[in-house]
Amino acid sequence: MLNDKFTVTTKHTSAAQVIVDEVRALISPKFIIAIGGEVGSGKSTLSYALAMKLKKQNLRSKIIDLDDFYTIPPLERKEWRRSKGIECIGPDEYDWDKINRVVDDFMQDKESTMPCVDLITDYVDTITTDFAGVDVMIINGLYATKLKQAHFRVFIELTYDETVGAQIFGGKEEMTPFRKQILEREHQIVQNLKKGSNLFFDFDASLDKYHL
Amino acid sequence: MLGDVLLIADKHREAGEVIIDFILKNRKPKMIVAISGESGSGKSELAHVIAKGMRKHGIFAKPVHIDNYYRIHPHERTEWRKQHGIENVVGPGEYDWDTIMRNIREFREGSLSTGPCVDLVTEQIDQLTTDYKDIDMLVIDGLYAIKTEGTDLNVFIELTYHETKKAQLVRGKEPQNEYRMQVLEKEHQEVQALKPKAQVLVGMDYAVRMV
Repeated sequence: MLNDKFTVTTKHTSAAQVIVDEVRALISPKFIIAIGGEVGSGKSTLSYALAMKLKKQNLRSKIIDLDDFYTIPPLERKEWRRSKGIECIGPDEYDWDKINRVVDDFMQDKESTMPCVDLITDYVDTITTDFAGVDVMIINGLYATKLKQAHFRVFIELTYDETVGAQIFGGKEEMTPFRKQILEREHQIVQNLKKGSNLFFDFDASLDKYHL
Repeated sequence: MLGDVLLIADKHREAGEVIIDFILKNRKPKMIVAISGESGSGKSELAHVIAKGMRKHGIFAKPVHIDNYYRIHPHERTEWRKQHGIENVVGPGEYDWDTIMRNIREFREGSLSTGPCVDLVTEQIDQLTTDYKDIDMLVIDGLYAIKTEGTDLNVFIELTYHETKKAQLVRGKEPQNEYRMQVLEKEHQEVQALKPKAQVLVGMDYAVRMV
């Protein structure tokens, strides 16, 4: 994503250290760490903190944000969801063909082209990156733990109420009744994906997280 | 840049509001706003706030960080600068102006445009492709952004590296950062030399005034 902003706090850096300690013995070339969890739970922030920690271990990581891989682009999504109904919401909203292609490119040390949402314009740009020399892929998103190729899965817990709170203060979108329905549906699906994760973190959406 | 951490504060928002007002009163199609300032002065934050603020007025503005456009790769830059001498090379000449001007032309033409995008996490340079068809405004920020030809509004942030955290952070480290301090000082001189090009000045306290 372009123009995303987040605040890294000690809870993120501590959690990142826990992940590094856990994967240290497991790391193989071209290692994929998936970070899933609720909206606003801190996936992007944790990804960044983790990448910094891995850098200290001389491991180069690329962060992939699955919010970039929705089949329906941001500007059209609200309308599309309204017309299709709540049931359309879920992991099928991702373009898994694109995701799998990017994961393949990573595994093969190739150059790869992928979508990149600019959070200011809401348009989808394209990023071309070279995966040669990249040791770890940190792939984060609501449904990231569904990725079959992931070697290690992290899940960030947040209660539904905390998610709503996080959304309001995160200021990414305004809170309407429809948005609330979407959040609730996403929350249910995300909770069902919990099992199969290697590590769980419980971050409260405490307010100080949003003071910049 | 990917992985750049922006810290947006009230002062950025307040200054942004004033500048947005001014832009709206002086609007042009395919307008280019440029923001220059020293390291740590808040250029990216201000660009972010302005571009985002434009959406409320139905204008699609894209922030472009032209500190992405250095000709020499970050990994090689220190060596290259030491080799040629900081005094001789540090400055606007370090930008890839050909690519900057090409991307600006593509913005004006409303076409597809590819330019560099530094990923601070991998320390690699990716290529970013944007479709400028529906983008009305460009907000370019960078040390030497207001040196760009053909901009419609130039904003200059007066904070120097002495006031921003940069100086303290660097001083707090090992004495090897003598090099980094020399670079900051040269960049400071080069940036300050651009001040006469500005129509809008952002003061030490982030108060905005027109020239």
